[in-house]
Amino acid sequence: MTIDRRSMNRRQMMTGAAGLGLAGAARPAFAQAAGPWGEAPKSKVDKLNFVVWTYGDIYTQISKRFQADWGVPVESTISSFNDHPTKLATMYAAGEKIDVSQSSPFSFPNFVNQGLAEPLDDLPGAKEYAADFTAFTKQVAMVDGKLMGLPYFATAWVWNYYSDMLEKLKIDKPFATYEELIEHCVKAKKDGVSRYPILWIAGVGLEQLPGTWYQMTWNKGGTFFDKQGNHMLGDGSIARETLKWWANTFEKGLDIADPESLKVQFTSGAKAFGAGKNLYRGPNHHYGLNICNDPAQSPIAGKVKVHGSPNGGKTIADAHVYFLCTANRNKEWAWKLLQYLGGKTKDGVYTQANTLAKDAMLGSGYQSVMNSNVIKTGWAPWGDVPAILDIWGKSTYIGEVCSSIYQPWHFPWTDQMNIEVQKCLTGQITADACCDNLIKGIAEAKRKV
Amino acid sequence: MRPPFRWGRGRELSASWFAFFMNVPTLAFLGVVLAYPIGYAVYLSLHRVRLADLRRGVFAFAGWENYSRVLGDPLFWVAVKNTLIFTAVTVSSEIVLAVAIALLINQAGIWTSRITRSLILLPYAIPPIANGLIWTFLYSFQFGFLNRILLSTGLIHERINWAGNPDTALYAVAVPYVWRTLPFAIILVHAALQGIPRELYEQASVDGARAWHRFRHITLPMLRQILAVILVLRTAFAFSVFEEILAITQGGPGDATWVSAWYSYKITFAPPNNFGMGSASAFILALMVGLMAVVYMRTVYRRVTL
Repeated sequence: MTIDRRSMNRRQMMTGAAGLGLAGAARPAFAQAAGPWGEAPKSKVDKLNFVVWTYGDIYTQISKRFQADWGVPVESTISSFNDHPTKLATMYAAGEKIDVSQSSPFSFPNFVNQGLAEPLDDLPGAKEYAADFTAFTKQVAMVDGKLMGLPYFATAWVWNYYSDMLEKLKIDKPFATYEELIEHCVKAKKDGVSRYPILWIAGVGLEQLPGTWYQMTWNKGGTFFDKQGNHMLGDGSIARETLKWWANTFEKGLDIADPESLKVQFTSGAKAFGAGKNLYRGPNHHYGLNICNDPAQSPIAGKVKVHGSPNGGKTIADAHVYFLCTANRNKEWAWKLLQYLGGKTKDGVYTQANTLAKDAMLGSGYQSVMNSNVIKTGWAPWGDVPAILDIWGKSTYIGEVCSSIYQPWHFPWTDQMNIEVQKCLTGQITADACCDNLIKGIAEAKRKV
Repeated sequence: MRPPFRWGRGRELSASWFAFFMNVPTLAFLGVVLAYPIGYAVYLSLHRVRLADLRRGVFAFAGWENYSRVLGDPLFWVAVKNTLIFTAVTVSSEIVLAVAIALLINQAGIWTSRITRSLILLPYAIPPIANGLIWTFLYSFQFGFLNRILLSTGLIHERINWAGNPDTALYAVAVPYVWRTLPFAIILVHAALQGIPRELYEQASVDGARAWHRFRHITLPMLRQILAVILVLRTAFAFSVFEEILAITQGGPGDATWVSAWYSYKITFAPPNNFGMGSASAFILALMVGLMAVVYMRTVYRRVTL
């Protein structure tokens, strides 16, 4: 039935195109439908499954779509973002079948290193996908020259500000330097406009607290490791000085940072900012705007604006990926399912990427999607799209800033980073002690691998 | 003299053999659900075990390497220290509160005690992770009910960052933990109170004993046995606290709420998934709990039963 309908459409399209003399214009659409994504694998499979972290009901939709297109039911195991690596690890260790799963860029090198991810290079259409990857996606999905995954989404780190509060302070534009950021916050506190003008995203995690430090260090011209892999956390380093500056915004210093900062994650941080108690939030994922500016979730919807960083706007970005698990039940079909999540559906459209852009303001790992109207119109309800894309253009993959991301020991070292930096921000240790401990911790983390 | 047990026609089985056979199903069950996992964890702790190794079931022998790594990790000792503090605080609070509340709901003359008795089990029915999430909302610095109530009643003048302050975070986790597990202790104490003969109190009253003396010389000695049981059980459970940590603080701020079970979890299930080291840390935790149980049994419980 499906095949008949497709051939009907092709015939109708070709007839119409010939009649109107638009055959040339119609070719790209025809070419899409005729690609490998439209062909059924020769083998048979009873069912497929994926193990993912939750995001709305996107996985219910895509499972239904897959079954409707190919007649193969898809089972899903969905856990929270933080629990996902555990869920995946236990299922894999227990010998269960896993066709497709997903990963943050921080866990992915480990999954590849431990043999969970299957190389995709030889699979039909894989090279076309890779050719359309954005720069960030390439850095995550290509491991040692091999294609190991397809993109879930991409994001860039931005600042947010509450425009009404800025007006109340009679400040005509958001900060252009870090000195101005402090000035604005001190004024907001002094004038009684906001007790805690700045909400940092500094909860325990891989992208929250470490991400904030990475972003500001990068923006100020620093990195965490040099090209040879030597740490850049020593005396006088930009990372260390940035931490000193950052810690000073907390209780033991200027006391302008919201104490909730140390608990919030990217989503809960956006929800907390939506309460309208803070002037600035960030730097964090651009799509927090779809919470802050959603009238159903935020009393200040429409009044949260996006803002770039000082120093020419240098910022960081990353991409999350889906991958084909080595514990799959059928490689051909698992590849088919993987494409529904991280590539094209049967009709040759990046359905999932488009849906995520429209429904959740997520960026895509595909250049063609990022350049399309889907982004321009899809993101528009929540933020200034040209401004976000401008910030996007100034972003660098997080792995350039902290190259240990590619190492298996990055994860345990990040655990230590969360501990030490939170101790520093709460005034238990100095920034110098924190960085010294982290330098020592590199060797310790390597031993845990 | 007891007649010997008869097994079938004319065959006799001694009482000790009979007891042995009656215990076999329990022993087999415990062997499968308890001894095997513990034994397997010990086996894993002596090997280098990564994710793929676990799937294949082939591991390289590592000797005591995992144990020396765990014992040489400063974070492990921080976690042990926090666990001991957490256990001391929660178990002692539970025992004091359980006795106090059980005494209150044991008052037959107070009609509200009957309502309390039926409601008291509610917290115990709440899943630990849900309990943690509920308290996360209560503790929220800017928007939490706790700060709002305390501010509006004038008990505090500035908001307190209960779960975000390293000085208060461990206690902020202890409160919801006690709130959830207290009903278990209350029910046990209440059941024990029901078993104390009324006549003892009546005689004491006739002799002029006041309420405190009745509690000190009748209630408390009669409760010792059940309190010893609660002490052993609650210590074992408090040692392995995990869910409230996961939901409320995730070990933070800093390492203020890293406890032993959280340490084992992170080592094992967070990449790079060092199952060998995780098993070693979990086994050390089990040994510590076992040691505490032995100490209790040799001190508190023995004294009570004598």
